[in-house]
Amino acid sequence: MQKEAAIREPLILGNKTYHDVTEDVCRPIEGKAPKMWYILFSIALIIGLYGVGSILYLLGTGIGVWGLNKTIGWAWDITNFVWWVGIGHAGTLISAVLLLFRQKWRMAINRSAEAMTIFAVFMAGTFPLIHMGRLWVGYWVLPIPNHFGSLWVNFNSPLLWDVFAISTYLSVSLVFWYIGLIPDFATIRDRAKKPVAKRMYSILSFGWSGRAKHWNRFELVSLVLAGLATPLVFSVHSIVSFDFATSVIPGWHTTIFPPYFVAGAVFSGFAMVQTLLLVMRKAMNLEAYIHTKHVEYMNIVIMVTGSIVGTAYITELFISWYSGVEYEAYAFLNRATGPYWWAYWSMMTCNVISPQLMWIRKLRRSLLFTFFISIVVNIGMWFERYVIIVTSIHRDYIPAAWSMHYPSHIDIAVYVGTIGLFFVFFLLFARYFPVLALNEVKTILKGSGQSYKESPDYHKHH
Amino acid sequence: MEVTKKYWKGIEELNQTPEFTKHRDNEFPYQNAVDQFLVDEQLAESSTGRRDFLKFLGFSVAAATLAACEAPVTKAVPYVNKPEDVTPGVATWYASTYYDGMSYASILVKTREARPIFIKGNKDFGFTKGGTNPQIIASVLGLYDSERLNGVRSKGVDTNISVDKADKAIITALKGAKEIVLLTPTVISPSLNAAISTMAAAYSVNGTSKVKVVQYDAISYGAIRKANELNFGASVIPSYDFSKAKTIVGVGADFLSTWLLGNEYAVQYGVNRQPGKGMSKHYQFESIMSITGSNADGRAQIKPSESANVLAYILKSIGGSTLVSSALSGEAKKVADAAIAALKSSKKESLVVCGSNNEAEQLLTNAINNQLNAYGTTIDLSNDVKLFQSNDTAANQLFDSIRSGKGPDVLINLGANPVYASANGDKLRKGLEGLKMYVSTARYADESSSVATFIVPDHHQLESWNDYMPKATHYAVAQPTIRPLGDTYASLESILVWAGAAVRNGKDSTVAYDAIKTTAATQGYADFSMLTHNSCGAVNSPVSSFVYKAVSSSATTKGGEWEVVFYQKTAIRDGGLASNPWLQELPDPISKVTWDNYITMNPVQMEKMGYATTFDQEHGLNLATVTVNGQKVTLPVYPQPGQAFNTFGIALGYGRGANGELIGRAAFQTKEYGGYELAENGNRKAIGVNVFPCLGDSKGLPSYSASATITKIEGEYLIAATQIHHTVMGRDSIVRETTLSTFMKGDREAFNPIHKLQRLNEHGHHEEAPLEEFDLWNAHPIEKVGHRWGMTIDLSSCIGCGSCLIACQSENNVPVVGKDEVRRGREMHWLRIDRYYASAEESSVGKKANEDDFNYSEAEKAAVNPAVVHMPLMCHHCNHAPCETVCPVAATTHSNEGLNQMAYNRCIGTRYCANNCPYKVRRFNWFNYPSYKKFTEVNPAQDDLGRMVLNPDVTVRTRGVMEKCSFCVQRIQSTKLTAKKEARPVKDGELATACSEACPTNAIIVGDWNDDSSAVKASSSDNRAYQALEEVGVKPNVWYKVKVRN
Repeated sequence: MQKEAAIREPLILGNKTYHDVTEDVCRPIEGKAPKMWYILFSIALIIGLYGVGSILYLLGTGIGVWGLNKTIGWAWDITNFVWWVGIGHAGTLISAVLLLFRQKWRMAINRSAEAMTIFAVFMAGTFPLIHMGRLWVGYWVLPIPNHFGSLWVNFNSPLLWDVFAISTYLSVSLVFWYIGLIPDFATIRDRAKKPVAKRMYSILSFGWSGRAKHWNRFELVSLVLAGLATPLVFSVHSIVSFDFATSVIPGWHTTIFPPYFVAGAVFSGFAMVQTLLLVMRKAMNLEAYIHTKHVEYMNIVIMVTGSIVGTAYITELFISWYSGVEYEAYAFLNRATGPYWWAYWSMMTCNVISPQLMWIRKLRRSLLFTFFISIVVNIGMWFERYVIIVTSIHRDYIPAAWSMHYPSHIDIAVYVGTIGLFFVFFLLFARYFPVLALNEVKTILKGSGQSYKESPDYHKHH
Repeated sequence: MEVTKKYWKGIEELNQTPEFTKHRDNEFPYQNAVDQFLVDEQLAESSTGRRDFLKFLGFSVAAATLAACEAPVTKAVPYVNKPEDVTPGVATWYASTYYDGMSYASILVKTREARPIFIKGNKDFGFTKGGTNPQIIASVLGLYDSERLNGVRSKGVDTNISVDKADKAIITALKGAKEIVLLTPTVISPSLNAAISTMAAAYSVNGTSKVKVVQYDAISYGAIRKANELNFGASVIPSYDFSKAKTIVGVGADFLSTWLLGNEYAVQYGVNRQPGKGMSKHYQFESIMSITGSNADGRAQIKPSESANVLAYILKSIGGSTLVSSALSGEAKKVADAAIAALKSSKKESLVVCGSNNEAEQLLTNAINNQLNAYGTTIDLSNDVKLFQSNDTAANQLFDSIRSGKGPDVLINLGANPVYASANGDKLRKGLEGLKMYVSTARYADESSSVATFIVPDHHQLESWNDYMPKATHYAVAQPTIRPLGDTYASLESILVWAGAAVRNGKDSTVAYDAIKTTAATQGYADFSMLTHNSCGAVNSPVSSFVYKAVSSSATTKGGEWEVVFYQKTAIRDGGLASNPWLQELPDPISKVTWDNYITMNPVQMEKMGYATTFDQEHGLNLATVTVNGQKVTLPVYPQPGQAFNTFGIALGYGRGANGELIGRAAFQTKEYGGYELAENGNRKAIGVNVFPCLGDSKGLPSYSASATITKIEGEYLIAATQIHHTVMGRDSIVRETTLSTFMKGDREAFNPIHKLQRLNEHGHHEEAPLEEFDLWNAHPIEKVGHRWGMTIDLSSCIGCGSCLIACQSENNVPVVGKDEVRRGREMHWLRIDRYYASAEESSVGKKANEDDFNYSEAEKAAVNPAVVHMPLMCHHCNHAPCETVCPVAATTHSNEGLNQMAYNRCIGTRYCANNCPYKVRRFNWFNYPSYKKFTEVNPAQDDLGRMVLNPDVTVRTRGVMEKCSFCVQRIQSTKLTAKKEARPVKDGELATACSEACPTNAIIVGDWNDDSSAVKASSSDNRAYQALEEVGVKPNVWYKVKVRN
């Protein structure tokens, strides 16, 4: 067993035994759902269905039901896409990169963060699909053999790269998540009493028996997948940023975009994890496993990535002036002082100033403050994408074509609807899936558990 | 060892019992396995077995699926006997003539499978020399308006009655009448005039005819005729020749667009506007910003009441005398002094025109032109214009008598619409309704004709024979290009029938044809077929000498603190074609507003008075009420740079059909989700407000300016404009403008600098190099291989008239999207004309006054009296097209002839190409325009009849796909095909796109850039040629040429 320094804060609080861990994680699945779950689920479902209805109306009528126009071909659709993809970044970072770096604290959060990732990528994937004028021929973006003669996809197009990037990311994340779930499903299966549940969890657990051989394979596969997923963390958002960076539009055509987008994605992903977990730990009595120390670690990630993002903003601004390019300079002047100044300054406040507050230890260890900042960061990151997309194209090269963007109620309904759907998925996950990687958490119980650290035996070994 | 062991399964096998052997040989011991499936006895009895049933089911599903996939049967019946002139797929062109009371032009009509679908100017014959205007080009759509009358309509009877019955009733009434009045718009048809004489002779008592003819036009040019009568003794409108003028001065005359024969003048004007030695100078004094004013070298903002002072000032300065005050404000004086200097040097090669309908001001104009000796050079009194002969005094007397119930016994109206275009329209309509016999030949049951006893509708121009004498020495015929679509009757025929001089013969009637043939013969055209081939020719007219007689006059327009100008918009003019959705959606060349009229005011003044001076799709403009001549109109106030202070302008021609008259499907406001907007009276709501009733009177003539007051009222009004940002923000690579003197020095760097970038040379030092050397990409392999289509657009020649836009819309089946969609920034025009004003921060459009201290927020505002540049913009067919690289499915690609092609069928609609287009010329199908309910009323493609106007060579696009200018690829292909069939290369000038063909000033040149001797190559190699946004590196195939002001 790995030992860690005694002065490190324990990762599992209280007097937890292995059995306690199992009990704590399985209790919500085995017991009845609280009333609050049903209320939240109903609200999320209604909002989600409203979004689905709006999407159906959009598909039946045409893209014109959105507030786009001849100058602004993308607005909320792609903003939402990039926002959701960004959120979907934290999960893989936590489970893959932190695994490679042997960060044990990730074990408390990786399961739900990965779930969040997958659901966020689902939501993200919706937008490139529904933003197409003709969804029914959308499969033409796939390089599949066809009967159209020599027609083939255009490998020069960043949109095509997107197709590959997102689908790869989704499938690897899904597999990674599922592999991690197998031992936990097996635990639930073994405890399940109702025949239906037993049957379901035994299918899900894939015949896991807990043998040493299985654990060995499990660890190996996790490591291999982590190795595979790590480059994806960087590639997905880099490629999303290419949608803009490879264009000729001032404000989009920027070489800083790939690292800046990746940092922004991690930034917003961690913020979303904070939002979700701060509620979940309370609602599901997981305070012993996800506590101030975890929150603090994540806040440090937010602070670091937020600083990277802030640096990128200022670099961009400086370069636009320093380049001496008329259009580039105006694009940024317009962002800061044009008709969308409010969006720009919302972005700057939310993304540059707010994470800097995390330098203060008291604040970054305050759960309430963290929750507030996590919401602020998510708002800020939505504005960042809106600012990049809309304020760049609403006033680009030809002033006669300059325009404004106003969202229609369908724009809003589709966006809010995806938030609803996201929560529908997440609530189902919280109800039926082990929200904590219980078998993994057990591996650190003796190394980082408070009761063990404080017991006299713990020190004897040193 | 012998095997002795024996194995058996049971004792039966060992003994080989008969039961065992029986079962062993039978592989399936249970014969009735099927019964287990068909437990139901009835099923077992069914004649269809399970397998058969599944076969049937499978077949039916497959068959039903296949049947559902099949397209509905559409009938395409081949010709049994092919008509001689009709080859399916090949267009037939007819030479004809257009006249609608407002515009006149010699035209060519393109028909496909016997349907007229396109109109262009005839460059070979006629004095209009190919010059058209948006109205003429768009008029083809009016042919297919399903609200145009079909059959005779009689008052009080819902169903149509037969024409014979109507004729009988009319003739009876004519015979019994004491007084017959024939109310006509200006008749320029000699045959119709002859027919009217026949009628007058037929109904006469003791040698005096009972028939009185009153000519009446909505727009009056009476003052010019009156002034010429006083000065020269002849009530004429002379022929003007702008091509002979070295100096042109316009005082409130929008002669490039809506004043008199604007399409003829635009062609003439273009001749001398080529930058170079002989370039003419043009000064304009006006209150509103007109197309003409936007093209002037010097422009002064004056109040309408100051026109006389400007004219008097000029007259006195060049040696004339007048009693009229010549006091001028500083700014106007500066421009006037420049104009006078130019006039003095060009002397008789000068032309001064005045748009006012005030006799005194026209007298002053005549005096100036006489002082300059312009008569005989730029002005030709003997070849007078026959259009606009409105006798306003007689017409007003007639209307007054009708209003007071003392109208004539029989009134025959040949299409005039006084109820709409005069004051007290409601009373006039009541009076008309009370007439014993009121016959109209209008094409629509419009404001004046809907109350007629009978409407015997005239043909559309494209359906009928007509002849015209637009000028004293010019005779033209219009030939039908299609058999009448409905039961309509040529007015010429109707008049002859009612005179008892002809008999109707349905659609095969040759009455009009015979009459015109006879007239043509008397005009010296015995060879009628040659005349129709050319469409027109010269006729002899007695040349009389005119001697100028000075007339002194001091009576001029009285001014007020605020003055209003009633002007015509390029698209709508007098409202006659208000139901044409192409025209309603044509952005006004200056304001870029569609589907509305409004009050124009200078934004600087508006800001002081608390009006909103900016607007966009969700923020409208303030409403205000203007009180003028006792009338009140409420309209939004539009910020119009260049508008004279203390004046505002309101366009005529709007508010048609306010009482729900059937004037056309597209003439009314529509709702956000389709259907008509309804007015308080339950009728369809008219577009804009009719301001004809506000016109004042000036010595018996309608006056187009008056003093007025304005009050801001509560409320905001959403405006549908295609351009909401009006300056070019000091960017010098979009439009370029220079002065003639700079240009004449020949130093290209001074007026058209080549874009250079810095790079490091081999010694590590910075050096400048032209843009081409920075290319990351390989050149597109089109140089010197086959064709490479290119285009040049001369900003110096372009006057911004909008003809190219309408021609493009007509040629390429561009959908109409209606006001609500235009407001949202979704107009579909493939070709747009950007209009830029100079800001106070710019020395000329696109040139920063102070490079180091450029205030961007100030640069967003146009100057008080800004210079204007019009810039037609369509797809630039870039050789390094940014749209092509980003399409994930390669729906937009480059042809080996340099065209950027759009494969609609391949497009999945990501709109990435549109975002990445630096010129923003791509248009997305946001809805299914040919079927979505929102566009039923406005888009002609949604009407069975309207659909006939579609060009069969161009696909109608479905929703969700991107579209854009194709350089009229269908024309390129057919040009190439023709050349191929004739086994020769494509000749230069053989290819014309719809836009290049429609341009009255030849600003647009297309051709093969790989052909070194081509016009486009020469034009693009010119000193003035540049590529817009060259530094982006997209390598467009379109060149612009620097605008030069003299």
